Amino acid sequence: MQTGYWRRVSETMSNRHQYAFFLGCIAPNRYPGIEAAAIKTSANVGIDLLPLKGASCCPAPGAFGSIDLNVWYAMAARNVVLAEQMKTDITLICNGCYKSIWEVNHKLKHNDELRDGVNEVLKEIDMEFKGTVDVWHLAELYYDPKIVGIKKLADSVTRPLTGAKIAVHYGCHLMKPAKERHFGDTENPMWIEELVAALGAEPVQYRNKMQCCGAGGGVRGYDIAHALDITNEKMINLQEVGADALTEVCPFCQLQYDRGQIEIEEKFGITWGLPILHYNELLGLAQGMSPDELALDLHAVSVEPFLKKIL
Amino acid sequence: MAVKKDYKDQKLAERLRDRKYYIPDSNPEFIKDVEKIGRTAAHMCYQCGTCTGSCPSAPRSSYRIRLFMRKAILGLEEEALTDPDLWLCTTCYSCTDRCPRDLAPTDAIMAMRNLAFKRDIVPRNFLKTAQLIYQSGHGVPNNAANRVAREKLGLEAEPETTHKYPEYLPGIRKIMDHYRLKENADRILAEGE
Repeated sequence: MQTGYWRRVSETMSNRHQYAFFLGCIAPNRYPGIEAAAIKTSANVGIDLLPLKGASCCPAPGAFGSIDLNVWYAMAARNVVLAEQMKTDITLICNGCYKSIWEVNHKLKHNDELRDGVNEVLKEIDMEFKGTVDVWHLAELYYDPKIVGIKKLADSVTRPLTGAKIAVHYGCHLMKPAKERHFGDTENPMWIEELVAALGAEPVQYRNKMQCCGAGGGVRGYDIAHALDITNEKMINLQEVGADALTEVCPFCQLQYDRGQIEIEEKFGITWGLPILHYNELLGLAQGMSPDELALDLHAVSVEPFLKKIL
Repeated sequence: MAVKKDYKDQKLAERLRDRKYYIPDSNPEFIKDVEKIGRTAAHMCYQCGTCTGSCPSAPRSSYRIRLFMRKAILGLEEEALTDPDLWLCTTCYSCTDRCPRDLAPTDAIMAMRNLAFKRDIVPRNFLKTAQLIYQSGHGVPNNAANRVAREKLGLEAEPETTHKYPEYLPGIRKIMDHYRLKENADRILAEGE
């Protein structure tokens, strides 16, 4: 069976890459424009996203991991096994999903004791974790020159986002903890800024860029005012540099920033009005998709001021 | 139960009493449980405080992750697990990336939360997420307005998940039932009504 590296080599020769598309919860069920954008924009740069039938919640690493890590391992492993049955690597668009799916896949591959424990449970539903596929975040595939790369990404742009100042929120669970991941420095990474610059926009730096959005670990549900206060600190830092929009690669961060701004208005009486766009929505705009095709009207904070700048 | 030590010289023992490690209600097994579940050598913590300094929750609450690390080492199980601050960690892993002892304080917190859940100490929102996943496979399920929006985009009303293929739900429920998660979540939520 071809896995990981070898599959990627053979795919490079055919110039199309196929991945099982793990959707998660918030993208398909709250911001479906992200899902539509991911499928279309990836097809334009040579990545075909195949449906991962019967996938569930990743499950939410904050909520499930906090209650019982064993359930978290088993539930995430079930989602990986669905892709193993398709003999296809997984790609996804959410940092929370990345933590569950990537990390559980990685841990089970490298720890026999954990894998045996999980397989004992999976046996009850006629499944077995074999460790035959890899998991990737779609953004890292865009950045990887063996798959897409900055040049190919820039070539796919038909409507450059010239003149727009865009700040990047990396989120937490994609790159941290660094010792378990493969992204290197987590104090001031710049690779998503490169992805933004490829679309013709100007990436801007701001204070404490790597700080959490505030939603993770179940805190959004446990103490919303506490979570919003963290978000509000990010908004202060973002306003200082005059960003026209904030982009991220995690729908849960997007939910926290987007709906959070409305909640901040209600609870703290502060209005920010900063448009929040998932990187795939941004890429969709740059590739000529219309705001309707991206369902940007579903955003709680109006994206209009940003659209005026680029359309 | 902490180890009891004493000096033969009674005067010296008296003078050093306050400085000796002796806490009657400490549980030395606690740190071992935290290390086993969290998969990190939490007892290596030397209390530098880099974790608390990196923590987005610390400036706006009384949550101090360094304190939880210390309580774990001292075996103060009761104090750590009943502290409501335990649930203020956003699991951002900044402390883990900066820890000079190469520990994962975040994972130690997760382990303490797992241990708290075993004593039925858990905020309701965590259990409600578990219930939603048991029902629909999703922590954030689809709704009517979203189905309309999806169809406008040319997507199917239900995503290619358990929403479109509910035949996968029994498998998910079996996994959760194996750990009696649904049962416990229902019970704890009902008791809190």
